[in-house]
Amino acid sequence: MAGYVLQRLGQMLLTLLAIATLTFFLMHAIPGGPFVSERMLAPEIATALNDKFGLNDPIWLQYLNYLRGILTFDLGPSFRYPGVTVNEMIADGLPVTLRTGVLAVICVVALGVPMGIVAALNRNKWPDTAVMMLATIGVAIPSYVIATILLYVFALRLGWVPTFGLDDWRGYILPVFALSGFWISFVARLARSSLLETFEQDYMTTARAKGLRPGQVLFKHGLRNSLIPVVTVLGPVVANLITGSFVIEQIFALPGIGRHFVLSITNRDYTAIMGITIFYAALLMVMILIVDLLYVWLDPRIKLRKTAQ
Amino acid sequence: MNPEPIIAPSMWEKPDRSTTAGEAIATPSLTYWQDVRQRLWANKPAVISIGFIVVLILAAIFGPLISPFSYFEQNLRLSNIPPVFETYRVSDDTGNNTRFFLNASNFNLYQVSEGGQVEGLLRGGRKDILKKRQGFEFGNTDIVLDYSSRPARLLRADGTTLRPEGWQWNMTYVFGTDQLGRDVLVRQLYGARISLLVAFVATLVNFFIGIFYGGIAGYIGGKTDAVMMRIVEIISTIPLMLYVILLMVVLNSGLISIVVAIGSVFWVDMARMVRGQILTLKQQDYVAAARTMGAGTGRILTRHLLPNSIGPILVTLTMLIPSAIFIESFMSFIGLGVTPPMASWGTLTSEAVETMRAYPHQLFFPAAAISLTMFAFNFLGDGLRDALDPRMRR
Repeated sequence: MAGYVLQRLGQMLLTLLAIATLTFFLMHAIPGGPFVSERMLAPEIATALNDKFGLNDPIWLQYLNYLRGILTFDLGPSFRYPGVTVNEMIADGLPVTLRTGVLAVICVVALGVPMGIVAALNRNKWPDTAVMMLATIGVAIPSYVIATILLYVFALRLGWVPTFGLDDWRGYILPVFALSGFWISFVARLARSSLLETFEQDYMTTARAKGLRPGQVLFKHGLRNSLIPVVTVLGPVVANLITGSFVIEQIFALPGIGRHFVLSITNRDYTAIMGITIFYAALLMVMILIVDLLYVWLDPRIKLRKTAQ
Repeated sequence: MNPEPIIAPSMWEKPDRSTTAGEAIATPSLTYWQDVRQRLWANKPAVISIGFIVVLILAAIFGPLISPFSYFEQNLRLSNIPPVFETYRVSDDTGNNTRFFLNASNFNLYQVSEGGQVEGLLRGGRKDILKKRQGFEFGNTDIVLDYSSRPARLLRADGTTLRPEGWQWNMTYVFGTDQLGRDVLVRQLYGARISLLVAFVATLVNFFIGIFYGGIAGYIGGKTDAVMMRIVEIISTIPLMLYVILLMVVLNSGLISIVVAIGSVFWVDMARMVRGQILTLKQQDYVAAARTMGAGTGRILTRHLLPNSIGPILVTLTMLIPSAIFIESFMSFIGLGVTPPMASWGTLTSEAVETMRAYPHQLFFPAAAISLTMFAFNFLGDGLRDALDPRMRR
């Protein structure tokens, strides 16, 4: 187990190195430096700025410096906001993004799984039809459309929730729902089909035949086994929440990392783009590792061995 | 009602071995593809989706050609016109009728023909900004637009309120116009072109890179496979959208960039799936047979292995197309996609969000278009998956 985790961590570092290299050279392939703008800088100032940020160094030295920065959790200064570091930008946006993200994951599990169970237990009856209809709608409509429709109906027309900001708890309702809508539907569909498949397994018949109460059969034998596919998608859920937050944070004007990221793209703030990308990648890989470990705990048939292949 | 699953009574019965009826062939035997087609046609949502996609493709290709408007042509005098409006009628002393409607959000009056064509902005007198009124003259009849209280009212000279005569569809701009007076319908159709172009590119890359990348990795195996799959793993560790964003930063926004960006990373899921298929298929006897007969790697791959995994490939493709369309509209929505005046469903939605309070119709149409398209591809994908799955055969 420990060996497996170590091996995975090593792989993660390798992947992170690849992503850091890719983003570094991509950003440096863009013509023009970060201080080239319509307003001409005095040559002395330009040289001083380039010296300060080490932009006159040969590219390999800049690259090594950048890698060293990542290893020491220092993502460098922002090129657009003087005096602000990328670390500060992330630290500034993280609480908001994390809060909405965690609430969204809770929504996905707490709404999606029960919806799937209800649908599976009432197969081809009205609760099943209703859940599947909702789930199809949720999977097909893009998050930004859901967000704008929610905003229009509940904030503008009905006035139940504020249109932007997170001043009180009601401000969280729409962003969290818009963020998790797709995955609630996806998990509901997945839980339903997985549960239906589990019901047909022989061990379920055995459990029923030996006289276990229906509740015990469902929760101890059915649910635990059918939740494995659901756990698998939790990794992608996190990825989706990250990319979803770009647009959700923009629509609802939330000061999270996603908004910083989109802003730094429009501002062409290259260090911020690189830094946030690497941060996202690292966050995702940690999440996927956690999901993989959860997997083993849920399904003892899966054994983690040191070599994957 | 007992919602808990119980053991079906039939499972307690002894299997009936007295007759051999079970072994008789009940239905005429069909080839696999006949069977698939039959099952797909029986799936109503999938058939409707195919119809929708065909109509969408035709509309996207031919719609802008026959439309009297172009996607960039602006007419600021006719901006923000709704697709349906309440008309008023005023007759003057010479018996001339004027039919017009009031745009309740910008307090303009527009003349409408009897057939519902929007003919132009009605010129009124000076706006009295303090009293919030504006006079309009129709021959010798005076009408005053009073917008001091909501909703705005039209008053006759004697102080009575002019009543609308009924609702009328906008026959000139069927979907209305946007804030620059451009026809929303033709812009929607351009958006459809872009979405379909992206879908087409995603399909192409999947076919030419994804399938062969996965096929080669799966068939050759060993070190080649390990290296190729490690590359795919690195790419798919972070969301594809993040790569597309990074590439867009490098390439600058624009239609070509977004096509290149989506095309360059969109094959990884397909490569993975195909590799898995090939790994299971290459152990089959017919592959060994082909090899003994002297077929080369290329022939085995293209003639034996890939045709046999066409089912899962098709399903993956119909699942990937909507996500490519979604990424394009998403990127355009956050301002990294196509550049103005080009219209995509994403830019149309994000432009409409700004004026959502006053002109919700501008939001409705692009949102409906993207959602319906996603529905269609999702239903088609589900239908195809069910149709291609031999276990579903009854």
